Amino acid sequence: MIVPVHGRHITSVGFQAGKDKMNAVVVKSKEVTLLEILDRVLDKGVVISGDMVISVADVDLIYLGLKVLLSSVETIEKLKGSPFTSPM
Amino acid sequence: MAENGQLVYLYCIADSEPKIEQIEDADNNLYSICHNCLYAVVGKVDQREFGEEGLKRNMADMEWIKAKVSVHERIIEQVMADTDVIPFKFGTLFSTDASLKAMLEQYGQEFKAILGKLAFKQEWGFKIYYSPEKLKANLSNGDFEILKIEDEIKSASAGKSYFLKKKKDELIGKTLNEKINECGQESFELLKELSFEARINRLLPREVTERDDEMVLNSVFLVDRDEVGDFRNMVDTLKMHYEGKGFYIDCTGPWPPYNFCGLSSGKG
Repeated sequence: MIVPVHGRHITSVGFQAGKDKMNAVVVKSKEVTLLEILDRVLDKGVVISGDMVISVADVDLIYLGLKVLLSSVETIEKLKGSPFTSPM
Repeated sequence: MAENGQLVYLYCIADSEPKIEQIEDADNNLYSICHNCLYAVVGKVDQREFGEEGLKRNMADMEWIKAKVSVHERIIEQVMADTDVIPFKFGTLFSTDASLKAMLEQYGQEFKAILGKLAFKQEWGFKIYYSPEKLKANLSNGDFEILKIEDEIKSASAGKSYFLKKKKDELIGKTLNEKINECGQESFELLKELSFEARINRLLPREVTERDDEMVLNSVFLVDRDEVGDFRNMVDTLKMHYEGKGFYIDCTGPWPPYNFCGLSSGKG
């Protein structure tokens, strides 16, 4: 069982609410993979339809090709800084 | 319809004027369109590349997708460093600025409502993977019931030992499922408490993740900026508790709020 951490004392670098409320630097955790980006950009986000819009159809097909894509990318992206990258 | 063979590519909508000149943009064709206090961040793209035919062709080209999707993400991330944004799906294209403005007119109130909800919040992704072998090994070492059966097997006759081994396998399978559910559920619930909104997405298969371990939770959270410290602290607590026991926790962010900007009238 995990005990939830209570209190508001912990602040994380870059996210303190300061005078400039939007100055938070975009800091990605280290192991962001291309997969993460593809999964969001292709599959999520606002979808608008209408006569004046051309929208990317059937993105599910992309997943079929994803393996090919990901293996073409240097694996360092997913290996970077992760202690669990080679399970076994 | 398109002007000069160019289309208008919509990246995101911002609630205050984006600093376009500060955004790194190799093609240098980024600009913003303002309508009723909403700012659409757009770029001009070639119709041969992004028109219906071109898009169809290019969506079969992984290298092209990889490059364009990265640009899409990078531009939105830079915009969101200064203002709250509604990120759009890849490949949302308009024939002209005027048609985009018409869309802003049509959906303006909804966009404003979404921006109101998203104000001062960040999206964080949280995934859990598990390695069956590691988790099993961990179980066998720590579970009293399993250890007891193992002890009994050592001193049992051949017939009884077969029965006991079967019982042990069943017990391991059952305990394994319990541990996975416990880890996933507990993590999700604890993080949800620190979030404004939470969602569970479909699990991605190994062919997609290209990991040896199996995804057991794919969740996203919309977190108030003031809570991000607590949220990340909780993630660290969960990592400390579960990693090394057969689980691997992957937390990423902050992301543009792709998962929390659905229009009421459609999917998003």
